[in-house]
Amino acid sequence: MGGFSTFSLAPYSGEWTIVHAAHLLRRTTYGSTPDDINLVAQMGMESAMEQLLSDAPLPALPINYRNPDDTVAIGDAWVNQPYDRSIQNQIGERLRSLNAWTIGNMLGEGLSIREKMVLFWHNHFVTSDIRDASYVYKNVTLYRTHFLGNFRSLTKETTIDPAMLIYLNGRQNSNQQPNENYARELLELFTIGKGPQVGEGDYTNYTEQDVAAIARVLTGWRDIGFYSRNGEEPTAAFIPFRHDTGTKTLSHRFDNIEIEDMGEEEYAHLIDIIFTKDEVARFIARKIYRWFVYYEISSEVEAGVIQPMADILIAADYEMYPMVKALLSSTHFYDAYAQGAMIKNPLDFTISLFKELRIDLGTEILEQYGWWNRIARLPFLLEMRYYDPPTVAGWKAYYQEPLYYRSWINSSTLSFRYVINQTLINGVRVGDRTLSANLLDLVADIEDAIDPNKLIEGIASYILPGGITEEQLQDLKSALIPGLPDYEWTVEYEEFLSDPSNSELKGSIENRLRAVMNGFVSMPEYQLS
Amino acid sequence: MKRRQFLRAGSSSILSLPLAFQGIKIGAFRNTIFDQLLSDETDRVFVLIQMNGGNDGLNMVIPLDQYDKLMNVRSNIMLPEADILSLTDTLGFHPRMTGMKSLFDDGRLNIVQNVGYENQNRSHFRSTDIWDTGSRAEEVLTSGWIGRFMDQRHAGYPEGYPNEANPHPIAITLGPTVSETCQGMAANFSIAIQSADSLREIPGQDGQHMPEGPYGLELEYIRQIKRQTNQYADLLVEASEKGVNQSSLYPDPGNNQLADQLRIVASLIAGGLETKIYVVNINGFDTHANQVEDGDTTIGDHSTLLGWLSEAMEAFMDDVQKLGLSKRVIAATRSEFGRKIVSNGSFGTDHGDAAPLMVFGECVNGGIIGENPIIGDQVDPRDGVAMQMDFKNVFASILVDWLGASESDIAQIFSHDYQHLDIVNPCDATTPARAAQERITTLKAYPNPFIDRLVLEFHSMGGHAEMVLLGADGREVSRLVDGAYQAGPHRLEIAVPEMPAGMYYYRFRQDQVSTGGSLVHF
Repeated sequence: MGGFSTFSLAPYSGEWTIVHAAHLLRRTTYGSTPDDINLVAQMGMESAMEQLLSDAPLPALPINYRNPDDTVAIGDAWVNQPYDRSIQNQIGERLRSLNAWTIGNMLGEGLSIREKMVLFWHNHFVTSDIRDASYVYKNVTLYRTHFLGNFRSLTKETTIDPAMLIYLNGRQNSNQQPNENYARELLELFTIGKGPQVGEGDYTNYTEQDVAAIARVLTGWRDIGFYSRNGEEPTAAFIPFRHDTGTKTLSHRFDNIEIEDMGEEEYAHLIDIIFTKDEVARFIARKIYRWFVYYEISSEVEAGVIQPMADILIAADYEMYPMVKALLSSTHFYDAYAQGAMIKNPLDFTISLFKELRIDLGTEILEQYGWWNRIARLPFLLEMRYYDPPTVAGWKAYYQEPLYYRSWINSSTLSFRYVINQTLINGVRVGDRTLSANLLDLVADIEDAIDPNKLIEGIASYILPGGITEEQLQDLKSALIPGLPDYEWTVEYEEFLSDPSNSELKGSIENRLRAVMNGFVSMPEYQLS
Repeated sequence: MKRRQFLRAGSSSILSLPLAFQGIKIGAFRNTIFDQLLSDETDRVFVLIQMNGGNDGLNMVIPLDQYDKLMNVRSNIMLPEADILSLTDTLGFHPRMTGMKSLFDDGRLNIVQNVGYENQNRSHFRSTDIWDTGSRAEEVLTSGWIGRFMDQRHAGYPEGYPNEANPHPIAITLGPTVSETCQGMAANFSIAIQSADSLREIPGQDGQHMPEGPYGLELEYIRQIKRQTNQYADLLVEASEKGVNQSSLYPDPGNNQLADQLRIVASLIAGGLETKIYVVNINGFDTHANQVEDGDTTIGDHSTLLGWLSEAMEAFMDDVQKLGLSKRVIAATRSEFGRKIVSNGSFGTDHGDAAPLMVFGECVNGGIIGENPIIGDQVDPRDGVAMQMDFKNVFASILVDWLGASESDIAQIFSHDYQHLDIVNPCDATTPARAAQERITTLKAYPNPFIDRLVLEFHSMGGHAEMVLLGADGREVSRLVDGAYQAGPHRLEIAVPEMPAGMYYYRFRQDQVSTGGSLVHF
């Protein structure tokens, strides 16, 4: 494969510089500022890891931010509040608020891996197009609460999660009429994965017999509280008379185990059985690898990285924390070839752009929600909708060969990416406010910014994974000071620094910086993380 | 319509007749099949319609002779018999498919029954991969079948593309991501667009430096897409502005996902885009629940989807006809699997096996290939419809008869014993796409008759050139030239391998331009 030099999960023990800190933050957060990167560089790897992986209180509940209705006043949380006769309006408004709130969480994530793990779980245990936002809130809160929690427990909770019961037809699955939808995906996509087909209906790790038997095990569950008029919290309910009480026999892939009737405990017992197979650990380890490192899993990666990750996971009884920590602390993760090899997904692209460009969204919560709502539409244009993955397998970037991450980039989406970043750099008027980059703030964080070479190299080291070549430096410099000697920048920028109230000069400096940032974000390198 | 019925009755392929030995005049031959062989690389378009999710074929093309048996096992979703639109005595369409029924009646629709592959895989994702790549169930490929076909014609792609001979995208996917079916060895042959004006010129320097390792590989990919985008952005807008849709049957935009895409396809073809392949998508066929509505099986999710399909195809076929393109365009559907014969309790159906596949166009032999599925008295709840026709036969036949693939091309594309199906008919009078055709008309092959050696004189446009000898049945017999030739005149003396005496045709091809003629061998 393309040149990794280390295939080891052994802890990285080399020098810890801003290059390493920037790589770690690019992969674990939705963008960072030079200050963040400098801070993590000073912390050292071990403390940085503790900080990034640590638990934090849940964000405040999403609120109704613009449209009064009979049950939720503006500024109040709508989660588990009743729907009433304005339900058509409430459905749309609550979903909009949820999407806006999600963007707010990512923008405000701080030095934490949590938001990237929440999306990891959402992409793993996919639900989509659930129209009751309280259901979606409950589902995603499960993953936000246990973002590095126990994989087995998360699988159990997901199996009877109300949104999942809707999405994969668990609510329709009964002793009279078993519905296999969830059973199949539980095996194929959520736990053990599908191996090569080695016989009729035999996929190495499980068989069609298991799909049918597990559908029966999972009969009897329904969700309660959809579009509730009484403000019920969405819950799962076990309806004994809809449950198949017969004996279910798994295939030889699960040692022909017979599952006797255990009523509402049966699903958990089944998941314990699935998790006795070590392939489950390798399956989730590969997904974590593709989420944080690279998509190609060579035999060296499988042996040197995936299997040791799986061993750690099993030793920790399926707690995710030690495995994720080991990966992000490994020599393999900091291999020079791991850096820059990931195409940013649309959320990563959008949120990191807002952070890097220091775009001011105000301090007033209702106004912020308004902006977040607008920002939430941008990844839509780039073919990624939070709470609406295209299929139950999630986004193609994380499973579909041979394109993987490359599936984010095609002529249309690349065009849109440029339209978005140029619009934000040049400023866009929305209502009575202008949304634009605060490039002076960005430059203020760059050391020796009075030297145009240092300024450009400094920006490059923060926003590009692989730095720039001499040729690119010269190109960018000619955008900053076209045809002028270097000292002209030094003179004018120093003049501005000594008198920031000189608004004319300020405007001119900003124009120069805009030109250079347009050059930066137009580089194909900017799409990489 | 009358002509169609004649063709349906005489269903054996004209290509399979040993013409040379039946005293048919070369002149007559040239006007039909030979021109077809020549125009293979010029202006024919294939549209692939992906019905994503796994289509319930039994609720779309209903085997009327199995109606009672089906009623036994899927009564909660069965259409009332009286509402089914009958196509023949034993086969009918879902009541929403009036547009497609008229296409069928008009001989512009071929239904291939029970299409799938051996050892059906019921995972959406694996099965979609199998349909995309054209692999066998137990084989894992990472390129698509259209991609491999295009690799044969465009060695080295994407290096140097677009170029003079191929100024336009090779393939276009309507939708969010490029089609895996068009994935070639080095790159995907399709560009993805949402609309004709969705590409924007992207400014800035790309840089020449190629870093090592995965970073460099991914960077190069983005650079390549950026180059393509800049080269194609204006072309697409121009073509769509030039190509004005002519059908009034399209629903208003936003009401039918498939019709919206096909409208763009028709306009791009009419506007002069030389793209060969279009991939369009209609999503939502994974009908585990609410496939039909409780109380009225003629409505529900599946009914809506089939209504869209039918309406979109009728409008598209009407449009290409009015635009004068009906001899240049065919389309075929696909879906990753059919569904189980026994319905579930959620008024839906779970993942199954085979299902019908449909091919549309003026140049398609209208009718039905294959027999109705047989539903037993007892149906195992796990059973899907048994596969009788491998999907690879359908697409290989389309590649051969429509896009000019040879037998040996097919052997390289599919690792599968290929059985030819008479789906495409030799539609004559295709118009050469480009004047470039004339540039290699200086081609001479002699002596005629020839014995053991041929002299070939031609004027190369530069790049790869090939010349193949075809038997009277249109199949490749020998590849006499296969290599790169500098621009300018060339004269080659070629030793001819041993082969039976008779009439042969030669086809010379450079880039997308072909020419040729006939020769007698003693």
